[in-house]
Amino acid sequence: MARVHFHEELEALELDMLGMGELVERAVGRSVSALVHHDDELSKEVVDGDDEVDNMYLSVEERTLHVLALQTPVATDLRLLSAILHTNLHLERIGDMAVNIAKIAHSVLDLPSSQTIMSHLQEMGDIVRPMVRTSMEAFGRRDLELCLRLHEMDDPVDRLNLGMYKEVAALAEDAPSLNWGLRMLLVARQLERVGDHAVDIGEQVGFLLTGEFREFTDASHPARSAHDAG
Amino acid sequence: MATVVEIELTREAVGRALRGRRIRLGTVAFQALLLLTLLIAMGVLVALLGDVARTGLPVFQERGTDFLRTGYSTLASRAGVFQGLVGSLMLMGFVVVIAFPLGIGAAIYMEEYARNTRLTRFINANIRNLAGVPSIVYGLLGLAIFVEALGGVTGGLTVISGGLTLSVLVLPIVMITAAEALRAVPQSVREAGYGVGATRWEVVRSHVLPSAAPGILTGTILSLGRAFGETAPLLLVGAKLGFIATGGGSLLDKLHGPYTSLPSTIFVFTRQPNQEFQALAAAAIVVLMAVLLVMNSGAIVMRNRYERRW
Amino acid sequence: MNEGGEEMDVRMIGDAATAEPVVAAGGALRVERHERADPDTAIQVVFDVRGLSVYYGDFRAISDVTLPVYRHRITALIGPSGCGKTTVLRCLNRMNDLIEGARIEGTILYHGVDLYDPRVDPVEVRRRIGMVFQKPNPFPKSIYENIVFGPKISGYKGDMDELVERSLRRAALWDEVKDKLKQSAMALSGGQQQRLCIARAVAVQPDVILMDEPCSSLDPIATSRIEDLMQELVEDYTIVIVTHNMQQAARVSDRTAFFTVDVDDEGHRTGTVVEYDQTEVIFTNPRERRTEDYVTGRFG
Repeated sequence: MARVHFHEELEALELDMLGMGELVERAVGRSVSALVHHDDELSKEVVDGDDEVDNMYLSVEERTLHVLALQTPVATDLRLLSAILHTNLHLERIGDMAVNIAKIAHSVLDLPSSQTIMSHLQEMGDIVRPMVRTSMEAFGRRDLELCLRLHEMDDPVDRLNLGMYKEVAALAEDAPSLNWGLRMLLVARQLERVGDHAVDIGEQVGFLLTGEFREFTDASHPARSAHDAG
Repeated sequence: MATVVEIELTREAVGRALRGRRIRLGTVAFQALLLLTLLIAMGVLVALLGDVARTGLPVFQERGTDFLRTGYSTLASRAGVFQGLVGSLMLMGFVVVIAFPLGIGAAIYMEEYARNTRLTRFINANIRNLAGVPSIVYGLLGLAIFVEALGGVTGGLTVISGGLTLSVLVLPIVMITAAEALRAVPQSVREAGYGVGATRWEVVRSHVLPSAAPGILTGTILSLGRAFGETAPLLLVGAKLGFIATGGGSLLDKLHGPYTSLPSTIFVFTRQPNQEFQALAAAAIVVLMAVLLVMNSGAIVMRNRYERRW
Repeated sequence: MNEGGEEMDVRMIGDAATAEPVVAAGGALRVERHERADPDTAIQVVFDVRGLSVYYGDFRAISDVTLPVYRHRITALIGPSGCGKTTVLRCLNRMNDLIEGARIEGTILYHGVDLYDPRVDPVEVRRRIGMVFQKPNPFPKSIYENIVFGPKISGYKGDMDELVERSLRRAALWDEVKDKLKQSAMALSGGQQQRLCIARAVAVQPDVILMDEPCSSLDPIATSRIEDLMQELVEDYTIVIVTHNMQQAARVSDRTAFFTVDVDDEGHRTGTVVEYDQTEVIFTNPRERRTEDYVTGRFG
């Protein structure tokens, strides 16, 4: 086989990126857990752990650029590197979302909480965390099916996010509770964005596999969806 | 804006254009002319050879190989080409031993070792001139140097002088053909040799010479054929046109004695008033042709063998 | 790092409202080139080329080239045609000696020894610094004879058959020719001939292998095989390659020197080195404008 070193490098890049996926997936889960269980230790671990994520991001970014410059890849190799670059960024952002949630968890330790809202956030977390894992699986196994499923998984997250506004509004009477509630809105927003990033990763995998870039959720045309596009 | 001529690109138009004029008169006429020149040249040769063969064949029919085994005699029925043959072969021996090594060696030096200076270019040009000098001039040279000046060594008008004269005559041709053969070896072969750390001589001996061998061989044998047919210079350096006593004596005595060559024998035959000698002359020419044919065939065979290897 | 007791920085990432301005008031944004240490400088230098100029008669082909070549690295010389890359390469094994009127100024130290010292024998130089040429040039002899010629003349006394096999394996050619060693080398394909030339160079057990556009007359598959071969060979040898193909230099080399032609006031053209650095620097972030223009194809 020719160009052994080139293909070995491609494999290494993909593996590292998948490893990053594992890290940020865990970080999301732990940040939600830290929030729901008022675990400040865990919050600190999530924040500290982001350094590793950032380092991996830089490493993958730099090495991908090198491979592009030095190996002039084409066809699938080129699409793979493009997908890695984009996914790398999405994963780093997911990591940042987890850090944000952890920081909010730290800042609301002394504030009164609502069980309903907490359970809704837990629910959201329980959906988006597997979404991240699914996106990584879709990438690693080159599975277009899984990509399409991501779009389906995102619907309940969006609904839960929208539902948050009403529930927080209900806390308007009590100032500290409202304070807490507003922060929980932010958390919901972060989780919703994690879901979006996971779907975006799925789109990247779709591009890798088909060579065509399709948005699974087209915000400007809400009626059209991945189902219709086939 | 100038008007643009529309070229029809329909099938009919393109077909017409491509099929065009079937017969291009100029090309056909030229081809016919060239064929004619070939036929004329061949025709002349065939006529000459045919005439000679027709005249000379009866001699072989009557006397067979006896013609080859007897020496000169004033009697047509007893005259043969033996002495001429022997003389020519001895002369060729000289050429092979002297001209070939000298000529090839000089060519190797000129092509592989000498630097490209004005002097070497001058020498090169002069060698080419020498190859075109009329052979009688070489005869005069041989007379002056080998017969007269070096008479003590050569013994004067002997086959040694004759051999030396022919060698000098043929030397420029050998040098030129060998040099051409060496020059034809691509530089990449030499570079490859140097690249693995060979000296100049190792490169020449192991790679350049073997590659150039076919060309050098062809050149040397062709020049041998040329020397074989030379008449005029030998007349000046002692080729006898008549009877030679074939007594005993050592080889050295033979070398220092009188000699003749096959072309000289032919010359003598043609000068006899007796008509029968014309037939003998024709027969001798046949012998000459046969020897040349064998030599050139040998050259082709050897060259093919070397070339076929790689 | 947030140790216990330290206040956690609660500013959120990606939140424009809490982000601090990067630019200080009144100050300009300054981006400096982050200089990373060149890891190669710790490696042994094989060729220390200093201020090399090469003249063919009065024509100055190369001006003032300084180029350290490192051990067990592939160094590529790139640049447009006629800028002296091959000239520099041929100086490294004194092949330029064969060209009449060629002379050099400056020094080339090979493991500290001046290559052009009058006492140095060019034949010995070429036994240690081998060369593969642009157009494959096997000797018009058998494959076996091609390989053994070099070792024979340098006095190799060991097992020739074993040497032939070893060299052909090294050049990834053994399996294809092991049954026809006595056949003519000229019957091989272009790619095979070039690998044979590599095997021939390797058979003399050199220290360095110089390659002058070794793939320029080969098809892409043959080229790819030789590029892979180079990356194996560099573990045992030091390789310097001249190439017209920038992408090849990017794929294969560890360090790259970019040559160009300078025209002086009187219109004399001469070759110089513009930039010499690690290959990834040359192709991702070169220092010189001219290098950037060349590798991006804006040149000329």
